Amino acid sequence: MTTLRTHLYDEHVKLGGKIVPFAGWDMPVQYTSVKDEVLAVRQNVGVFDVSHMGEFFVEGDDAEAFVDHLVTNDILNAPNGKAIYSPLCRENGTVIDDLIVYKLKPGKVLICVNASNIEKDFNWMKSKHQGYSCSLTNCSSIFSLLALQGPKAFETLRPLLSELPDMEYYSIFETSFQGQPVIVARTGYTGEDGFEIFGHHGTIKSLWQKFMELKVTPCGLAARDVLRLEVCYPLYGHELNDEVNPYDAGLGWTVKLSKQNFISKETLLPKPAKYKLIKLILDKGIPREGYPVLNSKNETIGLVTSGTMSVVLNKGVALARIEIDKSPSDDVFLVDIRQKPFSAQLTKKPFVTGGHK
Amino acid sequence: MTTKIPANLKYTKEHEWALVEENTVTVGITDFAQSALGDIVFLEVPEVGTNLKAGSTFGVVESIKSVSDLYSPVTGEVIGKNSDLESSPEKINEDAYGSWLVKVKVKDTSELNNLLTAEQYQEFCNTSH
Repeated sequence: MTTLRTHLYDEHVKLGGKIVPFAGWDMPVQYTSVKDEVLAVRQNVGVFDVSHMGEFFVEGDDAEAFVDHLVTNDILNAPNGKAIYSPLCRENGTVIDDLIVYKLKPGKVLICVNASNIEKDFNWMKSKHQGYSCSLTNCSSIFSLLALQGPKAFETLRPLLSELPDMEYYSIFETSFQGQPVIVARTGYTGEDGFEIFGHHGTIKSLWQKFMELKVTPCGLAARDVLRLEVCYPLYGHELNDEVNPYDAGLGWTVKLSKQNFISKETLLPKPAKYKLIKLILDKGIPREGYPVLNSKNETIGLVTSGTMSVVLNKGVALARIEIDKSPSDDVFLVDIRQKPFSAQLTKKPFVTGGHK
Repeated sequence: MTTKIPANLKYTKEHEWALVEENTVTVGITDFAQSALGDIVFLEVPEVGTNLKAGSTFGVVESIKSVSDLYSPVTGEVIGKNSDLESSPEKINEDAYGSWLVKVKVKDTSELNNLLTAEQYQEFCNTSH
């Protein structure tokens, strides 16, 4: 299978980015050092090429009603200009994808989806589209997307655009860069303040080059994964997949059961959860995806869904999916690392507190 | 990719280096390996007295995002390990050839002929990546 390349591919190679296949794309996994890239975002500002992600537009009188019916979070009652994170579920409650819905203006909605799920999501949405007075268009191939993240993101981006208000976190604004239209959202998946900028390929390439001139740190997918895991954001294919429902993955807060009707409402009404997602910190050892989680009797009760060395804490951290029935009352957890049990501390709060607004 | 490959060392295709001094072999990972791994954050090497087998795994090196096995270049008994490195494994990134992992007492030195010379290792790095 041939892999796809974003319009910034040559820029990544020029910068010495190490390219790996990801979700069918050749993407930069790191440029210099994962650690330096993570710290740039936590303390300063970094930029990610996330053009592989998918963009769908929904336009027409029923745009909001249609999207509200598709997803579990509340779209209808959110004000215009808001961004809303939500799972997309089947009737049986399992998660097709997690995505962000942007309410651009009345009758116009942008949906940003994971690269690996573009076709699956689009086909699903298309199959549910009948009876709604709105269009659904997959614009993934005509948009590039950058995520500018870090405490200095606003001061970096503002002078480059024709206009950029100090907008709320999870809101969206249409503006322009060098006379070309861009859609700017105060979102990202790092826990830090930052912006995601959607635009046509040429526009986004110029913007990327501008960021490089300004010495913004280019960051790869490895840093992005560490950053999202440090603040405990789920990632599709790890914490979320076709087998689990939002309650299994700690996303109950995104299911608005008070909504009149939506796909999966009937199944999700009793809040069915077979699993729960827990956060573990290790003093010694680095947990990795797939490592077994054990109780005090060394019995397997679940698996690590994502694990890494936290750059900020300098400790191993993990999200793990454990079976609710086997959840230990003594809160003693061990992670099996290469057949050796390492003690792990359960924590309720994210490992790192991001600095977003 | 430019990488340092000292002429006085022997190498494996798994990117370990070996310094041979009579029947004692000092083992580390190459500059190429540290660069490919990125920020090294964890190291696990065997205790003194452990018997290693050429070509078999003897430890683990982890970067932030990956886990890699270490392969012994030789067969023999561990007679020394670099304990300092376990508490500061990032030193491998700074100086791969100055950061030895274990010293091994080799029984059969003829086995050392199976290792790559610097020239052969350079060639291997050029063609395989």
